[in-house]
Amino acid sequence: MNRIWKFIGTGVIVLASLYLLQRLLAPKYVSDVVEGALIAEYYGEEKDHDVIFIGDCEVYENFSPVVLWQDFGINSYIRGSAQQLIWQSYYLLEDTLRYEKPRVVIFNVLAMQYDEPQREAYNRMTLEGMRWSRSKVDAIRASMTREEHFLDYVFPLLRYHARWSELGAEDVRYMFDTPRVSHNGYYMRVDVKPAENVPEGRILADYRFGDNAWTYLDKMTALCRENDIRLILVKAPSLYPYWYDQWEEQMEGYAAENGLLYINFLELVEETGLDFATDTYDGGLHLNLSGAEKISRYLGEALRQEAGLADRRGEAHLSQVWKDKTEAYERERERQYEELHSPAPSRGD
Amino acid sequence: MRKKMLAITMAAGLLLFSGCGDSEKVIDGDVANVTTGSRSGESAEAQAGTETQVSQTETAVSRGYVLKVNNVTVEVDADASPVLEALGEPVSYFEAASCAFEGLDKIYTYNGFEIDTYPSKDRDLVSAVILKDDSLATAEGICIGDSLEKLQEVYGEAALENGMLVYARDGMKLCFILQDDNIVSIEYRSTAL
Repeated sequence: MNRIWKFIGTGVIVLASLYLLQRLLAPKYVSDVVEGALIAEYYGEEKDHDVIFIGDCEVYENFSPVVLWQDFGINSYIRGSAQQLIWQSYYLLEDTLRYEKPRVVIFNVLAMQYDEPQREAYNRMTLEGMRWSRSKVDAIRASMTREEHFLDYVFPLLRYHARWSELGAEDVRYMFDTPRVSHNGYYMRVDVKPAENVPEGRILADYRFGDNAWTYLDKMTALCRENDIRLILVKAPSLYPYWYDQWEEQMEGYAAENGLLYINFLELVEETGLDFATDTYDGGLHLNLSGAEKISRYLGEALRQEAGLADRRGEAHLSQVWKDKTEAYERERERQYEELHSPAPSRGD
Repeated sequence: MRKKMLAITMAAGLLLFSGCGDSEKVIDGDVANVTTGSRSGESAEAQAGTETQVSQTETAVSRGYVLKVNNVTVEVDADASPVLEALGEPVSYFEAASCAFEGLDKIYTYNGFEIDTYPSKDRDLVSAVILKDDSLATAEGICIGDSLEKLQEVYGEAALENGMLVYARDGMKLCFILQDDNIVSIEYRSTAL
């Protein structure tokens, strides 16, 4: 009997050691590559959102949930991640539905360009943040490149053991808890780098989106329909990667066939008031705060008119939640302007 | 008891740390780390010590297909800086930060062609060379507007990949896009990305 307890005790110690080692070695995504923290942050939220965004960097860098709340009383969250592939968006939607049923889901269509798994580094930033569920398992299986192994996702230590030589103070400090890096999934940048010399798209041999991409868009449409959710397709106004006319035609056709609202913000530069000399921080790839707030105002109006979303600013609890979020958002805005040694423009500007 | 615990921990450690030599698979914080091809590494070594002069570039040993612009040899996965220096000021320049990771993908546009680069450690390597019009031909003499027949005479039978005719050699690809049996696009592409 004594030997059995010793055996169990030894096993527990070994497992605990491996667990601690795993926590230590896994990337923390706090001050570097913060985008890796976005997916996991959702689980700490109260799940009562009217709108959920899914998609790649074109959602988490281009839309501001704070503006949607402040100007329209719409409670939204962005489940975006770097190079989020459409099958990952689909399984993130499935995952989201385990917790809540939003009125509207907004999907950014740039991901339609990819028909097969791309890069492990990006896969990791989307998949590792997901809580374990059937959806996560399916997402991993759909996403793995040929060099990847499912077990490496189950036991990240197998993947990250080589990080021991680059461990820093942050790895210890944030071993069990990490600070928030986003504002309801929005990644804020206030700096400005005008868009110049944006190249035209390369000639492609085939402009048709792939079968796999279409399959997952169909699944997303069906899943929203089954759950009585309004699916809205958007193309954010990023100038690069290039959005081809042939791609636009396919998306317009799909939206029309399926009765979906499709908003291409590239065609709404005048209406939104976007200025690519001042509203982007990286030469036209992503919008800065000023640009994100402009197109969020346009989107908020569309959500109110087209999806009939009610203004919830009268709800006491939700208003308090958003008061705190808005304060954090404004603090971050001030901090970034301070870092740039530039006074923050007043909100009326 | 202590010996047993030590043995079990060591066994677990051995299991976990097997394959530690595969340092190319470290992915944290550097997208370039996830590339699994070895060509960029080989090129890096091959390029080490290369002086930024046209004559030096010319004499580089090219194992894949290369583009020759005047006296400059442009090779994918090679260090971009000596080539760019030899080519001079581009007509236009654009840089794109990769989502989430450090480093910039850069696009240098010259008359008739474009050079794209990707970051690898502290250098930029050539990721693609794209011919824009018929003012330049490949080193083998094919240019935009040539026929499929001429292409096959020069390069032989190609593999068909995603609608392109592809000639792969030593870790790179020379890709042709045709419309109505005429070449409309020529790209030298790295396979390391």
